[in-house]
Amino acid sequence: MENKESLGQLIRSLRERAKEIKCLYQVQELLNNQSLSSEELCNKIVKIIPQGFQYPDVCKVKIIFNNKQFFYKKFSETKWELNSKIIVRNEIVGQIKVFYTEERPNEDEGAFLKDERKLLDSISDQLGMQILHKQLKSVFEEGQLKVKEMKSEWWIILDLLKRTDPRLLVNIAQKMLNYLCLSGIAEAEKFLDEFNPSFKKKTELFKDNNFPMSVVETYDILNKSTFVFDIASRHISEGDILDSIQKWIKEDRSGFMVNMLENTSSSLSDISNAIERYHHLSTQGLELSKPRAKSFRVALTRRILTDQPGFIEIAKEHIRVDDFNNLMKTIIHPSGSHGKVGGKSSGLFLAQHILKNSVEDKEIAKRVKFPKSWYIASDGLLEFMNYNSLEDIVEQKYKDISQVRQEYPYVIHVFKNSSFPPDIVKGLSLALEDLGDDPLIVRSSSLLEDRLGTSFAGKYKSLFIANQGTKEERLEQLTDAVTEVYASTFGPDPIEYRDEHSLLDYLEEMGIIIQQVVGNKVGHYFLPSFAGVAFSNNEYRWSPRLERDDGLIRVVPGLGTRAVDRISDDYPSMISPGKPDLRVNSTIEEKIKDSPKKLDVINLKTRKFETIELRELLEKHGNEYPFIHNIVSELEDRYLRIPRLIGHDYKKNLHIVTFEGLTTKTAVISDIRELLNIFKEKYNSPIDIEFAHDGKDLYILQCRPQSFNEDNHPVEIPDNTLDKDILFSADKHISNGLVSDITHIVYVDPAAYSEIESHEDLMTVGKVVGKLNKILPKRQFILLGPGRWGSRGDIKLGVNITYSDINNTSMLIEIAKKMDEYVPDLSFGTHFFQDLVEANIKYLPLYPDDGKSIFNEKYFMRSKNHLSEILPDYAYLENVIKVIDISETTNGNNLHIFMNSEIPKAVAVFLEPTGNISLKRKKAGSEYKRIKSDLHWKWRLSYAQEIALAIDTERFGVKAFYIFGSVKNATAVPSSDIDIIIHFSGSEEQKNDLSNWLDGWDQCLSRVNYFNTGHKMGKILDVHFITDKDIAKKTSYALKIGALTDAARPLQLRTVIKEA
Amino acid sequence: MANSAYNPYTIAQEQFDKAADILNLDKASRDLLRTPMKEFHFSIPVRMDDGIRRIFKGFRIMHNDARGPAKGGIRFHPHETVDTMRALSMLMSWKTAVADLPLGGGKGGVICDPHDLSLNEQEQICRGWVRQNFKNIGANIDVPAPELMTNAQHMLWMLDEYETITGERQPGFITGKPVGMGGSLGRKEATGYGVMLCVREALKELNIKPSNTTASFQGFGNVAQNAIELYTKMGGKILCVSSWNQQDMEEISFCKEDGIDLLELKKIADPFGGIDKIKAKDLGYQVIAGNEWIKKNVDILVPAAVENQINEDNIELISEKVKIIAEGANSPTNPKVEPRIHTKDIKLIPDLLANSGGAICSYFEQVQSNMNYYWDKNEVFGKLDQKITAAYISISEFAKKNKMNMREAAYIIAVDRVAVACRERGWV
Repeated sequence: MENKESLGQLIRSLRERAKEIKCLYQVQELLNNQSLSSEELCNKIVKIIPQGFQYPDVCKVKIIFNNKQFFYKKFSETKWELNSKIIVRNEIVGQIKVFYTEERPNEDEGAFLKDERKLLDSISDQLGMQILHKQLKSVFEEGQLKVKEMKSEWWIILDLLKRTDPRLLVNIAQKMLNYLCLSGIAEAEKFLDEFNPSFKKKTELFKDNNFPMSVVETYDILNKSTFVFDIASRHISEGDILDSIQKWIKEDRSGFMVNMLENTSSSLSDISNAIERYHHLSTQGLELSKPRAKSFRVALTRRILTDQPGFIEIAKEHIRVDDFNNLMKTIIHPSGSHGKVGGKSSGLFLAQHILKNSVEDKEIAKRVKFPKSWYIASDGLLEFMNYNSLEDIVEQKYKDISQVRQEYPYVIHVFKNSSFPPDIVKGLSLALEDLGDDPLIVRSSSLLEDRLGTSFAGKYKSLFIANQGTKEERLEQLTDAVTEVYASTFGPDPIEYRDEHSLLDYLEEMGIIIQQVVGNKVGHYFLPSFAGVAFSNNEYRWSPRLERDDGLIRVVPGLGTRAVDRISDDYPSMISPGKPDLRVNSTIEEKIKDSPKKLDVINLKTRKFETIELRELLEKHGNEYPFIHNIVSELEDRYLRIPRLIGHDYKKNLHIVTFEGLTTKTAVISDIRELLNIFKEKYNSPIDIEFAHDGKDLYILQCRPQSFNEDNHPVEIPDNTLDKDILFSADKHISNGLVSDITHIVYVDPAAYSEIESHEDLMTVGKVVGKLNKILPKRQFILLGPGRWGSRGDIKLGVNITYSDINNTSMLIEIAKKMDEYVPDLSFGTHFFQDLVEANIKYLPLYPDDGKSIFNEKYFMRSKNHLSEILPDYAYLENVIKVIDISETTNGNNLHIFMNSEIPKAVAVFLEPTGNISLKRKKAGSEYKRIKSDLHWKWRLSYAQEIALAIDTERFGVKAFYIFGSVKNATAVPSSDIDIIIHFSGSEEQKNDLSNWLDGWDQCLSRVNYFNTGHKMGKILDVHFITDKDIAKKTSYALKIGALTDAARPLQLRTVIKEA
Repeated sequence: MANSAYNPYTIAQEQFDKAADILNLDKASRDLLRTPMKEFHFSIPVRMDDGIRRIFKGFRIMHNDARGPAKGGIRFHPHETVDTMRALSMLMSWKTAVADLPLGGGKGGVICDPHDLSLNEQEQICRGWVRQNFKNIGANIDVPAPELMTNAQHMLWMLDEYETITGERQPGFITGKPVGMGGSLGRKEATGYGVMLCVREALKELNIKPSNTTASFQGFGNVAQNAIELYTKMGGKILCVSSWNQQDMEEISFCKEDGIDLLELKKIADPFGGIDKIKAKDLGYQVIAGNEWIKKNVDILVPAAVENQINEDNIELISEKVKIIAEGANSPTNPKVEPRIHTKDIKLIPDLLANSGGAICSYFEQVQSNMNYYWDKNEVFGKLDQKITAAYISISEFAKKNKMNMREAAYIIAVDRVAVACRERGWV
């Protein structure tokens, strides 16, 4: 009930606000009409003002000015009065009085609203301004007549100022004096001491500097100011004096802004008022000098957007003072707020104004749009917490991470059951009114986010809301989403991330951006036609013809969520904006396989964010989906065809997402390319943008310096390594990243491979690689081979494998070794490029014959080959396939591959395992570190031991218990499983019992892992049973026992004492 | 050393030599058939998107056209060797002869990697290929078709260039065109149907009614789906079908004792025939990881996925009940285990014959294009039935007569047909 009432009130207040604005515009229009005299103006204004008030029918207005009264139809004054003084040059010249002729209920100020007070003040302000303008104008006109016989024009102004605004005159005189001194005029320098009160009375300076200058002094100085101009007239031309005086008068009018911005205690609403005032003045010809304009821009950017120097540096060139006016109207903030809008919002605002103000190609600025957005200032979060007495939650970040994780659901619960301060609710309600009832996205815009080198990408929540239903329901959806985003500040992931980047002690203020979701209704879903993310630099090049700065677009139909994050069950489309015709996939099969098959949408019925099948959507609503003909191609009989615009049947055949129409028939890709170039130039750094398209226009949703995931950051190349420790190096087509702790190498010798005689043996090489892929420790081995991995059609060009044969490698390396007369072209992993990208398997091409790079072929030749031990059946391929245990050949070292596309360079170096490196490096002061890298294997190992000890060997028929893989090798990561081999000799029933018993452990350990790392795993125990027979035959995992390379390690079992 | 390395051409020649020995061919015949009759090597200059000129190497190899205009694909491949194309062109001669089509064998291609080329550049390559070679190809000379990394789009560009040069509409110049642009209906179904038409003939020989049989399939792609459709129409029951699961990276078998339902499985399959595990379970299928399909107690096994699927690891898993293996895929049977299949008394319908439906339909496309009159689907299927049944019978009889297995018979009969044509023309 209460909510309903407040809602009614809200609507009423909105209606009032609209009336007031309309009234203000009408007054403005009158004022702009230069032909009206002051009297005529007053007569007209008294008629307009009542329309802006809550009860126009009983509202009467009187203006007193020049000893005259102006009103519309005579009336007698009442006690229900609101009045505002008309001030010209600090002098009261009249007033405007508003009366209600009958009593009305009490509001903020008697029967009047707060906003009505503002309205009236603003009208009298402007009226005053106009009166002054007219006065000056008449003086000028008068002056111009007499100009020839009289003194110069500027004397007239000074005369006038003397009479109307002595303070300003003194101010100007001082400025003139300073100007003369700076110009090196000796006469003026002498005068400096006399003129300036602070110089004259040095001793008194500290006594009265808190007070304004006294009238007597002013009078004194007033006279002296005439001398200043006397001096000026002797040294400077008439024109220059006049120009300077005019400039200073104008500047003086913006003095209030200086005060407001310099004063650190002024709140957002003070600033907002000042900007609004500035805005009105600027329409009346207020101009700022360049330095002053710049200082305003800087100050406003710092106060409202963000205080990062790098950002301000750019922003001051592109955002104008007046641009802040509209922004302020959409910032929701607590009263007395000192907050900012935060990183994401600032980035978007900057992008918008770069396009608006600083781009020569005005066409692109017209074509590209920005979604309507509202913001909550960053201290809204603290205000929210204060209001609900949740201050304690701030301490979360200093708790143990597992505790943070455990308590996080509770934090969300508490936040969701808290209420917002009325200021914020009112603001959100206004925002809803303005944003309408299309779905919204609520995103975090933290002050820490998007700082150089710290991208919180994906750490905080972004929530979509359907924004459907009654206003009340919509407001509830919105506040609910905001609280959830707020709560995410105290989630384990951001806290852990901040800890790692030494940002924990920063006060976490979180701005919020509320954005209209770009899109259309398709059936009962809401979605953009397509959306995605574009990068200036392409770190995933699928063809040697692509340059790094050709850029990269990851794009999907529907919401861009599926393009931004790496997805395991689908593929986003990748396009190079520099060379859009060079697509990742060329055959129809590849196009089908690597096309997005699902899309993210907002279901307007269930009001939920959902992932649906594209096929189903197109069958039902293909013809309603705007722009779909540019997104998909119809597959008919091995022929891909761009759908016709009209009359196309989306039910008949399968449609594949190819974006063929988009790249060949629209300018969207070239627009994105241009945007990337523009922003890159203005930011002076590569950038990334998020975008969406609603079938008509391209929208920018976010813009920031190009970010890197944890795993595709350019890595510092160690410079102090000895050549003997380097296995290979490369400098062509390098991507970014560090692949560390490689324990094994699978090397297919290019020369030996080319000499294989039979087709079957060639095929077998692929098969053996597939088997090794299953046996070797996951993501701890690399594959090196000749030419084109996964080659189709001609097996001699590269080992015949499919993605499933290599999906556990941490890196895929192709060697372009000179054969006979030519260097083979490499595949760039093209046959499974998208799989590699989504699984974060790195790709690297090597050119050993290229003089500059290192390729230690001897290492591969001389190191012991374990193939015959691991897969005895394939020993005959020993000269072709080498399996090398790295630590065995390097006294316990691992291989680490450092890749940096910026230099570009990649180096594979034998070094100690990372646990040791981090210590050494930290001491050397390098930033390279691996945090808590030993944490993951230690607890896993201790639990494995505990399980081994807990097994009732008799009951379950267990003979031995082994551990292998990443836990044994101390290289486990949060997602690692625990690889166990159980030597089993019991019955099928015992095996079932044991499996169930282990399942219990499994669930418990998954939970432990989750609390420690936040990584949810379905299964953490990977148990393999082997029997006596396996051991005898050395089949299956029995190979691991007593193996020469990466052997499984036995754990102690419980000793059962049998009764005699 | 390099000379002893694997070379598909040498292998194709060795295979031919064996057939020639069996057929006791004279030296002239051997010399003629051992190597292609004509080879064209040419350079294709292309202006790339960035303005730079690049020269691509193009080929057309015509192995033999004694039986009719040569027929064979055009492949785009980064390291194509002439020897590979020679081998493939020879294989095309045998392929058309097996199905008794009045065609010869050819192959062609361009050394290029479409992954590194824009569509515009690919179009220039296609047009350039035709410009350099148009005198040596044509509806009555040598007819190209799509192959590795080329598709209908490439064929249309080539056709357009050819027609522009000759100033005539000649849709029969090339095959693999989309329906409505000179393509034939029924192409999608042809290979799968062909497999089952062979099975039908095999059952006739064994005197078993199709409706009394059960089958198990590997693969759920285009070939398998159409074969399943026809087999179901014939009254057979399918107990199991396997498909590759991209997510789990393994083969998964879907079994149902009272027979699988093609339509319901199609609904939950992706374009590659990957069947959704969870949805299948909901539909009452037994979902078993691995090659359960091969163990099934059925009459017919149809491997219709990829090569080398029946091998030493699983040959012993094949049920005693199995009477027919129909090779829907290319080379699904490892040559090493093939003798064991024959000793088990299983009738193996070799790929050369079993999946010749595609080649036959391609020939039909040529015929229809040449007369510029296009048949409806049923007419296509009717003619397909006639053609492939005749091919089956002749091979089967040849095998029985000469006491060889069907794979040998198919190969020998093909070589024989080509050799006879050459002789009758007075070439040898």
